[in-house]
Amino acid sequence: MNTHKILIIGAGPAGLETAHQLKSLGLTPIIIERSDKIGGHLAQWDRLFPSSDNAEELLERLKEQVKDVEIKLNSRINHIEKEGDIFHVTLSNNKTYDVSAIVVCTGFDLFKAEKKQEYGYGIYNNVITNAELEKYFKTHQDERIDEPKRIGFVHCVGSRDVKVNNTYCSKVCCATALKQACEIKDEFPDADVYCFYMDLRMFGKGYEDLYLKAQKDFDIKCVRGRVCEVSENIEGKLVIKAEDTLLGTPMKMTLDLLVLMCGMEKAEGVERIQNMLNIKSNSDGFIESRDIFTGLNLTKERGVFVAGACTSPKTLPETLAEARSAAIEVFKYLSIEL
Amino acid sequence: MRPLFDPFVLPFVISMTFVLLYCIIGMIRIVFQLPKEDRRKFLRSLIYPKSALKNFRDLVNDCLLHTKIWKRKPLLGYMHMSIALGWFMIIIVGHFESIAFSPLRGLEVPFMPKLMSNLYLPIFFRYFAIEDLSLKAQIFSFLMDFFLLMIISGIFIAVVKKKKPRKVGLKRVTKFGIKEDLVRLSLWTIFPLRFLAESSMANIAGGSFFTKYLGFELLFGGNYNETLSMIFWWLYSIDLAIFMTLLPFSRYMHIPAEALLILLRNAGLKTTEPRKGYALAEIYSCPSCGMCIDVCPMSEVKDNYKNTAVYFIRNIRKGKRRRDVKAMTEKCLMCGKCIEVCPLGIESLDIKIAQRNKTYYKIKSDFEYLKSQQDYKTTRPQDKAHSPETQQLSNSATQQLSNSATLYFAGCMSHLTPTITRSMKKIFEIAKENYEFLDAEGSICCGRPMMLTGKVNEAKALIDKNTELIKNSGAKRLILSCPICYKVFKEEYNLEGIEILHHTQYINELIENDKLEIDRDDKRYVYHDPCELGRAFDIYDEPRNIIDNIGLLTPGKSDKDMAVCCGGSIGSLTMTLEERDEITKNSIKDLMHNNPDEIVTACPLCLKTFARLAPVKVRDIAEIVANTIN
Repeated sequence: MNTHKILIIGAGPAGLETAHQLKSLGLTPIIIERSDKIGGHLAQWDRLFPSSDNAEELLERLKEQVKDVEIKLNSRINHIEKEGDIFHVTLSNNKTYDVSAIVVCTGFDLFKAEKKQEYGYGIYNNVITNAELEKYFKTHQDERIDEPKRIGFVHCVGSRDVKVNNTYCSKVCCATALKQACEIKDEFPDADVYCFYMDLRMFGKGYEDLYLKAQKDFDIKCVRGRVCEVSENIEGKLVIKAEDTLLGTPMKMTLDLLVLMCGMEKAEGVERIQNMLNIKSNSDGFIESRDIFTGLNLTKERGVFVAGACTSPKTLPETLAEARSAAIEVFKYLSIEL
Repeated sequence: MRPLFDPFVLPFVISMTFVLLYCIIGMIRIVFQLPKEDRRKFLRSLIYPKSALKNFRDLVNDCLLHTKIWKRKPLLGYMHMSIALGWFMIIIVGHFESIAFSPLRGLEVPFMPKLMSNLYLPIFFRYFAIEDLSLKAQIFSFLMDFFLLMIISGIFIAVVKKKKPRKVGLKRVTKFGIKEDLVRLSLWTIFPLRFLAESSMANIAGGSFFTKYLGFELLFGGNYNETLSMIFWWLYSIDLAIFMTLLPFSRYMHIPAEALLILLRNAGLKTTEPRKGYALAEIYSCPSCGMCIDVCPMSEVKDNYKNTAVYFIRNIRKGKRRRDVKAMTEKCLMCGKCIEVCPLGIESLDIKIAQRNKTYYKIKSDFEYLKSQQDYKTTRPQDKAHSPETQQLSNSATQQLSNSATLYFAGCMSHLTPTITRSMKKIFEIAKENYEFLDAEGSICCGRPMMLTGKVNEAKALIDKNTELIKNSGAKRLILSCPICYKVFKEEYNLEGIEILHHTQYINELIENDKLEIDRDDKRYVYHDPCELGRAFDIYDEPRNIIDNIGLLTPGKSDKDMAVCCGGSIGSLTMTLEERDEITKNSIKDLMHNNPDEIVTACPLCLKTFARLAPVKVRDIAEIVANTIN
């Protein structure tokens, strides 16, 4: 069995966990990663919802598990050729591998906030994204965040929005927004924090508690309605227009900081890999699984598996669970079918 | 000389009398339906020498020569000209010929009033004439043959057009019912029958190269058969009768109606009612040629071609119930391309707006807030409410903007595309313009969306309030960023003494006056003409001149007046996002024809619409300029 090599594309949580499980099943996984570090989006994050666990600790655990696994950083796939059941993979450094299976763990990209020009990201200084706020929590270095008195969070930026062609829910932003709202309130106790949401989808264990805690303990004000327009006044403060749909009234507000909760989108460059592996996209643009019940980790192409947020937006626990199930699918495929 | 009457003329005489009476009564009806003021204007325009001259010129150009069609599709132009001008000349020359060569013309014919014989003699002259070999007669018969040949050549093209529309440069043509087919068949056969009838007795009546030598000698082999000849004359007359009788109920009504439309239009009239007066003249003038089908951006989605102008007008004309017309009326994007290609220049958008005005909406507009709206809050810092608690639109006291002669009005759409407002601020700053940002803190709508839904009175409320505010400011210039606002400001506002400019015009002026120092780049730009700037106001050169100063301007596939609507237009009330996407993709394909690096436009709505689906960066012209100056 251990003569089989498995290529894992992407060294995010899904890739790391799949590799760990495959290794413990006695196989030889190889991870390739296009960037220069391990961890994907998890490496950018400070704390995780719902219970504010430390992201770095989790990442260290995942890294520890794969310390015997070959990880190729700064590597891209140049070419894949399938011969029988063997994939001949050529990397950007011209190194070649012959592998028996491929697990695609390419994850997601955050929605590019500048696409929603009306929110003013990239135009007004005090509009930032959820990822930038997380980076601030990690480093405490961002000159845009300077003792803000009023902070707004806009949910569903690039999610559930036909106007940017993303009709799906990104799943994690509601909880992330409330987590970040509590954290920033913790940092600036005098600040007023507003969350502008369409629906609050607090579906997981501990999420609803987070929602209640945010309101009760942190005095976060949740406003049901979308922000329609952001502008800047002469003092450089943000002026937003929104509607409170529960009160049925339009509102205008001056803010010092606006955080855009960018949703998940298909990762850039995945299409190239999809073309090489001959696997299709689903209607949301993510990679299509064979079916959503029993074939979640399978694709229409023999020997090609998927795990994590490359098939649809997912929370971290879901991604890790899926990575483990992908390892079983690969094991099954190699031991029974081959 | 034969007797000057034969029973075969009767079908023609009767039908011709009918059609003349019908047209005269129809014309009087239309003129009486006009609002009083319009009627006076119209009658006055008929007398004034200047407008009378223009009427004459337009009638010749549009009704006879069809110069507009020539410009777009020469072959179709020839087809229309040959039939219209040829027929007209045959009638005119025929009258002169019958006056010159029938000594009995003007004499009483038994049972026939003089007027009647004058009606048919020129049409059936060859039947009553005897060959005359004098030079004068030969010239006449040559001319008659020449024009007959011209018409028949036109009809030949018409037959080709029907069978193979692509040969004459059309993709889709209008679909017709059986009645229209019958009328068309009768029209197509009139002149071949006339040719056969005249040729069959050219040895007696005479003729020229066409009827005598080609027709009589070659076709009939030089033999005269009285029965056969009579059959052709009867057929000719009956065919004319069929055509004339059905004409008022067919699309060929455009022949007489167009003449009236030209006169009404030259009098400066506009549509106010969708089925009365001026609109009626336009509706009857529609020849259902279908030129608007191919260019209509809606045709991108297969079933939507049924909503194009030609079908809309046909349904209005048929008197279809309001419900059927309503859907067609509300679908239109109001991009105006159909008007641009319409050989008759029928302003179908005005009819649609008038028709939209007929729709009753349950929603009642409430304009109470306008009363409390004081002059716009200006951007002066001392007027700012310092409390961040201001949660409502603030009303500052009335004040004169005495020290600035220029106002900038961004409009609601530009507020959703802050790159535009930010770029304009930078441009104003660098050009050292003394300006006030009129709607920095929110504004009253320009009124155009209301106009487009046909709610003219409601739009008026907004327009009046805005007019008052702008006039109070004492400004001399008003600069707009949104073509949607621009159109309504130009057409519906009465801002005498205030120059209204779109920012493309303003920036172009700055460049021409060397107020901006531009760092050129080597990018290839394509410019998309917004409907409400291009087709509506012919602002084509200013933006192109600006881009020429920045980078390389590459043309799209269809430019300027043929530019394709971006699909985002607020003109359509019912179009779905999916349908709009198809239009947007088509428009982008058109723009990407020469593989530009960037798409440039000058309308916030076009910008937002394209940005969703374009493969390259889309920017407003103001942003491009702002990024290249320092």
